[in-house]
Amino acid sequence: MTVIHPNMADENAKIRARDVCVYYGDKKAIDDVSIDISPNYVTAFIGPSGCGKSTFLRCFNRMNDTIGAAKVTGLIELDGEDIHGSRMDVVQLRARVGMVFQKPNPFPKSIYENIAYGPKIHGLAEKKADLDVVVERSLTRAGLWDEVKDRLEDSGTALSGGQQQRLCIARAIAVDPEVILMDEPASALDPIATAKIEELIDDLSGRYAIVIVTHSMQQAARVSQRTAFFHLGKMVEYGPTSEIFTNPIEERTKDYITGRYG
Amino acid sequence: MAEHTVKAFDEDITRLRGLIAEMGGLAEVAIAESLDALVRGDEALADQVVARDKRMDALEIEVDKLAVRIIALRAPMADDLREVIAALKIAGVLERIGDYSKNIAKRTGMIEGRSRFEPLTLLPAMGELAGEMVHDVLTAYAARDPDLAREVIATDVKVDGFYNSIFRNLVSYMVENPSTISSAAQLLFVARNIERIGDHATNVAEMVHFAATGAYPPEGDR
Repeated sequence: MTVIHPNMADENAKIRARDVCVYYGDKKAIDDVSIDISPNYVTAFIGPSGCGKSTFLRCFNRMNDTIGAAKVTGLIELDGEDIHGSRMDVVQLRARVGMVFQKPNPFPKSIYENIAYGPKIHGLAEKKADLDVVVERSLTRAGLWDEVKDRLEDSGTALSGGQQQRLCIARAIAVDPEVILMDEPASALDPIATAKIEELIDDLSGRYAIVIVTHSMQQAARVSQRTAFFHLGKMVEYGPTSEIFTNPIEERTKDYITGRYG
Repeated sequence: MAEHTVKAFDEDITRLRGLIAEMGGLAEVAIAESLDALVRGDEALADQVVARDKRMDALEIEVDKLAVRIIALRAPMADDLREVIAALKIAGVLERIGDYSKNIAKRTGMIEGRSRFEPLTLLPAMGELAGEMVHDVLTAYAARDPDLAREVIATDVKVDGFYNSIFRNLVSYMVENPSTISSAAQLLFVARNIERIGDHATNVAEMVHFAATGAYPPEGDR
């Protein structure tokens, strides 16, 4: 049973998932989850470790394809288009649905190349001048431009952890995605770097649909407008963040967010 | 309610509830004793009521500090958060109720010719009703009982009824015999204070309802 608060269905949903199940071999990691992800909001997935929230997030750009034993059933649409359909190019899908991971993973190349690589292989920009524009715009949107504009040829891995994470966000933005998936994007960062990432998420929302998985409930409360609580592979409750954190309907949600779980 | 994984969190909440309960107990006693002192002209008792109000003020400060600490250190959510916010506001209201009682006690020496005033027999009954509201609303708080909170809210009209009848009564005394004006005016303030105590108990009831359910009582109740 999933409790969904009123007005959560969205006709213009960016991502629409229906009856999604994910199996790792025999084990059912996600059990019959349906959700609408709105383009205009930051959506947070919360829940205890192993609840399936990351697994579910990874369905949205078919990252589970890379795991041999994983099987996904049910329907997932991006702008009404089945992402498992025969006409869907998975490389294209991952450009439209970008991803940022827990540990910053810049390419071992220059800062400039980290950003320019995606647009180049996707043919979004060919001339150096066009690429320069994309690099500056992406780094600016990621709040990193002022810090790195004089050292674009330095290696991306030479940056601090927080800067590397913003570099990865800039890299995701560079290919002009529609959705950005973030899996614990700030859990390896100190509070200041975390605050910068959260501020960035705030800036980017509205321009991109953002889905964030986080263990920090405070972070979910701070950055998201929609929150889904997962437990044992099921989506227990989905509603406006302000409601989930002040007046959740489900007992299990309440126990989890008030620190009574388990 | 299930316990928190972090035990110290439960201890903080229990302590907060204990402080509110203590304030509630003091408020009840203050209402009863201030009226007792007033009616019997017992200035020693009145002084006690005034002196004991200091404890009330100290408790309110303690609640404030503890609530801020819980919010800062424990980051309470959902019903925990509502509970802490409600406690913060309830403490302020109870402190105010204490002030009204103190104010009643201070008028003890200002009443002349006690035997002439019929309202003096009505005021303790009115005070008892307001005291019951305070008592019941704290029971509702302790039990997180929104239904009892709504019953408290419904009682307030009776306190208002008392006030209106005492008001008319005192005015007629003043009209008939101007020498009673000074004492009657004092009693008018007393009645007004008790009426305010009823209103404040109603406010607490609304907060108890909010803490327990996440919603304020329906408009018709208020």
